[in-house]
Amino acid sequence: MATREEITNRCQALYDDLDFTAARKWKDAEPGRHVIGYMPMYVPREIIHAAGMMPLGILGGGDQLEVIQGDAYYQSYICRIPRSTIELLLTDRLDFVDGMLFPSICDVIRNLSGMWKLLRPDVYAHYFDVPQNYMRDVGGEFYIHELNVLKEDLEKISGNKVTNEALKNSIELYNENRRLTRKLYKFRADYPWLAPSSEVYLINRAGMVIPVEDHNILITDYIDAAKQEDRPKRDNSRVVISGSFCEQPPINLIKSIEISGCYVVDDDYMLVNRWFAKPVPTDIDPMQALSYTFLEASVKMPSCFEPNEDIKGQFLVDLVRETNAEGVIFAAASFCDPALLERPILQDVLNQVDIPHISFKYAENTGQMQPIREQAGTFADSIKLWS
Amino acid sequence: MALTVGIDVGTGAVKTALFEINGDKITWIDRQTDRIRNRQPFTLAENAFDYLLEKNGYTRDDIDYIATTGDAESIPYSTGHFYSMTTHARGALYLNPDARSLLDIGALNGKAISMSDKGKVLKYKMTSQCASGSGQFLENIARYLGIGQDEIGGLSEQADDPEVVSGICAVLAETDVINMVSRNISAANILKGIHISMAGRLVKLLKSLKVTEGVVMCTGGLALDSGLVLALNEAMARSKMDMPVVSHEDSIYAGAIGAAIWGAFRHEKLTELENMAKAS
Repeated sequence: MATREEITNRCQALYDDLDFTAARKWKDAEPGRHVIGYMPMYVPREIIHAAGMMPLGILGGGDQLEVIQGDAYYQSYICRIPRSTIELLLTDRLDFVDGMLFPSICDVIRNLSGMWKLLRPDVYAHYFDVPQNYMRDVGGEFYIHELNVLKEDLEKISGNKVTNEALKNSIELYNENRRLTRKLYKFRADYPWLAPSSEVYLINRAGMVIPVEDHNILITDYIDAAKQEDRPKRDNSRVVISGSFCEQPPINLIKSIEISGCYVVDDDYMLVNRWFAKPVPTDIDPMQALSYTFLEASVKMPSCFEPNEDIKGQFLVDLVRETNAEGVIFAAASFCDPALLERPILQDVLNQVDIPHISFKYAENTGQMQPIREQAGTFADSIKLWS
Repeated sequence: MALTVGIDVGTGAVKTALFEINGDKITWIDRQTDRIRNRQPFTLAENAFDYLLEKNGYTRDDIDYIATTGDAESIPYSTGHFYSMTTHARGALYLNPDARSLLDIGALNGKAISMSDKGKVLKYKMTSQCASGSGQFLENIARYLGIGQDEIGGLSEQADDPEVVSGICAVLAETDVINMVSRNISAANILKGIHISMAGRLVKLLKSLKVTEGVVMCTGGLALDSGLVLALNEAMARSKMDMPVVSHEDSIYAGAIGAAIWGAFRHEKLTELENMAKAS
């Protein structure tokens, strides 16, 4: 069995690879294979998988990609992820992708889908809408329609019929992936010194660029390897990270938070890997199953629409309590409207129940960690000494 | 009773302090300072730690909490890490119970911190990135002038006609000093000029914190520079701030002291939590 270090090194290499070599190799291994890219936060990867295609998570270019052309497409007050995604496109790093899904998350990602269509009119690009009404006969029906449109589009690209049997098989695989991701998060919350946040992040991130079957094995292997290692427990403060669900912080920022004295016991990075709080049923029509689970069991996060004003933000308090966290760090990408507009509401909810919190902004290429360390370090101290 | 060690890895030196703490009774058992001088700070820290234990008849297992501060976050055998402002505030209070603010003047930057009577950091301000207000800059100038670091304070106090250097940019300040040397300005007046410039910047930071009471404690590597402390008191008077700026012979240990004391506090708290968990 691979050691923890070997597993994390492999994931680090996947993270560093801006040419998506693993996904290219998967595509080249057999003729007729297709890869469909998707942006944060959630797409029904089961349908892509059931069409015999590989879903590929595109999370921008990170801190190693120099954005030259991408800046010309966006105003200075727009976040960095669309710029670096355009840069990936224009530098042919995504030339093997057979289609792109742009989920409904914000106007910027919506506009990015338009940019993509203009720049690559021959490649399938789809703005994937989700319901804002959570009743089965309204939002549910609308979403089933959207899922069917996507299914038919993918059938045309792949040339494969998406059968109910194939969908149920894919749903089972992704149910397992979500179960294992939750197990990984639970393991980290219980033993944060055995599974540092930076490693958990890399394991989670690997799921964006390798087939789900491989990712399931990877998570299992990591947990088994991490359990066997004896790593020192430190007197750190337990914190939840909130607001990093789209543009990702650089890995050094995640490390800096931990080094400065915080154990991150939960976060909202790459929510697609654990979007549903319970398994998608496999004993009903698969489209209905995906739709109703989306309506009724989507993960509660600041980025998710909450129609009930009275319980808005309560999920964060619940999360803090479930994970025995002692505080919340609001870390949002600069100019991220969904995260920054929700932040004051969430801060207010935390203030009402005396949960300490701090907040800062980052960009995916943030390089100066000293201010972050300073803030996170003093926050950890204040929890340990004065909370 | 808790036996704790505070390890403060700074830019210029590693400071280690061994304490025995029993409630309010704080006993400072031993200390060690090592100038880094291009050596590996973590090796120095570990050697100093082991040396202090052996010298005082302890083993690592006897230590209840190994508290690190400064640039020591990654020391693998640490029980917990505290940020330097937190530890300097507590260390300053230990060295002078009347302290309600402090100036932590280190090799790379300076910080003004206001604190409560329990050592809680209330507000802080830091010098900007430029090195002209730092100990490293002063050390470089002393080297150019052929003066030992321990001579700086005494010489500065003898100045009779100081020439102020640029307080904004280290490069400009160095140019100022070269010009002064070519104009035969004495080393005493040059050093005093640098002290005045540094003191002006630090007092400005302190003033912005609106501190009005207690003693201003100097900590960090430059706290023992008597010329700088004098210049700080003069700058305070010019700024109409009626608080004495004082130093202590152990000011350089403030970070390590604070870390060790907070380590004992955490040890007690963690033991309490453990006992509560066992009882339930």
